[in-house]
Amino acid sequence: MKDWRCELRSRYALNAIGLFAVTTLVVTSAALGPAGTNKSLAINVLPAMLWLILLFAAAAGLPRAFVHEEESHTAIALRLASPPSALFVGKLVFGVTLLLAIEALIAPLYLAVMSLEVSSPGLLVVALVSGGYGLAAGSVLIAALASQARGKSTLFSVLAFPVLMPLLLLAIELTRNAVAGDVAGPALPQLLLYDGSVTIAGLMLFPAVWNP
Amino acid sequence: MTRTISLGLRAALWLVMSLCIWGAFFYAWSDPAFIGQSSRILFFHVPMAWTSFVAYFAAAIWSARYLWGGRQMRHDRAAAAAVECGVLFGVLATITGSLWARIEWGAFWNWDPRQTSIVVVLLFYGAYLALRSAMADAEIRARISSVYALIALVVTPFFYFIVPRITDSLHPQPVINADRKIDVDPRMFHVLIASALTYTVLFIWIHNLRTRTQSLVDAREDDPS
Amino acid sequence: MELGGLGWIFAVNLIIWTGLFVFLLRIERRIAGLEAGGKGR
Repeated sequence: MKDWRCELRSRYALNAIGLFAVTTLVVTSAALGPAGTNKSLAINVLPAMLWLILLFAAAAGLPRAFVHEEESHTAIALRLASPPSALFVGKLVFGVTLLLAIEALIAPLYLAVMSLEVSSPGLLVVALVSGGYGLAAGSVLIAALASQARGKSTLFSVLAFPVLMPLLLLAIELTRNAVAGDVAGPALPQLLLYDGSVTIAGLMLFPAVWNP
Repeated sequence: MTRTISLGLRAALWLVMSLCIWGAFFYAWSDPAFIGQSSRILFFHVPMAWTSFVAYFAAAIWSARYLWGGRQMRHDRAAAAAVECGVLFGVLATITGSLWARIEWGAFWNWDPRQTSIVVVLLFYGAYLALRSAMADAEIRARISSVYALIALVVTPFFYFIVPRITDSLHPQPVINADRKIDVDPRMFHVLIASALTYTVLFIWIHNLRTRTQSLVDAREDDPS
Repeated sequence: MELGGLGWIFAVNLIIWTGLFVFLLRIERRIAGLEAGGKGR
């Protein structure tokens, strides 16, 4: 029952934020041209742009996960049906899947239109997966908070920015290392630390958000 | 009797803070590594940053007590007041830091990692205050903002400990280094410690006043007679 | 006293701090009055 509803919603969400991400990508690409051929731009600017596109996509898509529940009044049924930690895990899996799907769509396209050559593709995949996970986990947690302040949808970006900022800085650093062909460096364990602590914080705090 | 004691405590605070100010200019000497007398701002800037850190931490503790300690509104009021004090001292630390940066680095603002960190932490607590004002129901507001204040415990350490280290910072080393060695002149250290303690006491006082005001406001809203 | 010298800056700091202190004392007295059931202003 829950799986089926999730499926339906994720297809709607995937279409919408996929398209949104592609639009952002087209704008960036049109503005910058094949910037990857310029070595300094490729290392200093393009990784940051990639993560900004992903941040926009996450901010456009993930808050819907909870706002939808509140609007359609399924929240009360969900409160009765499942323990909050299970619900958080469900939302987290949904968010991470959605974001990884977006990354699978956007990242190859981005490399292609920017003519960006990545020296260590393996590290780029690691950066995308660990950064995407943290981006989704942080967004889902903040979305749960923002959904409680009804009718104030702009609040999400205000709340999410400071929370996601360290993640973005670390993910950009790691992507930069991947493009330049450096070793992963301390950014990788720090990124994993962020992922882990946000997950644990979510599991501990979500019951307080969800249960009156 | 208690009134005499409380007045005495306040008079003592006035005296000690005045002594700290005197010490900052006449007891401690100016560090010759910095331009002119500019190192003396240390005795104001560092305690402010320290106090804002204490305030944020106190806010997290009160938030946790609200969530798991019986959901008492007074804990939520205390948490909110602590965040307000933290933002106040944080803004003052930012301003004093930027004045010093103008003298030492030549520009008020140059996105040194420490400057980035303090701004993002301020944005975090600015968002906390925005979140509070977005919710009308007191119970929901207390619950949701407590959670947000606790998320800070996960996120802000990245700014205090990690971000200043991934990019090169021109900011002087923290006074007590990683190897726990006190790396300043003893006289500077005396004034700094005294000043930090006094600022903390000042924070407790302001926080107490703010909490009491808010509970008066809340009581009036509950019973508008 | 030399304008902008250490003594001058010390005096300004002391005046600011004393002003803040008196301000806080007055607020506290008013809060205490309201808490005791007074009308306040």
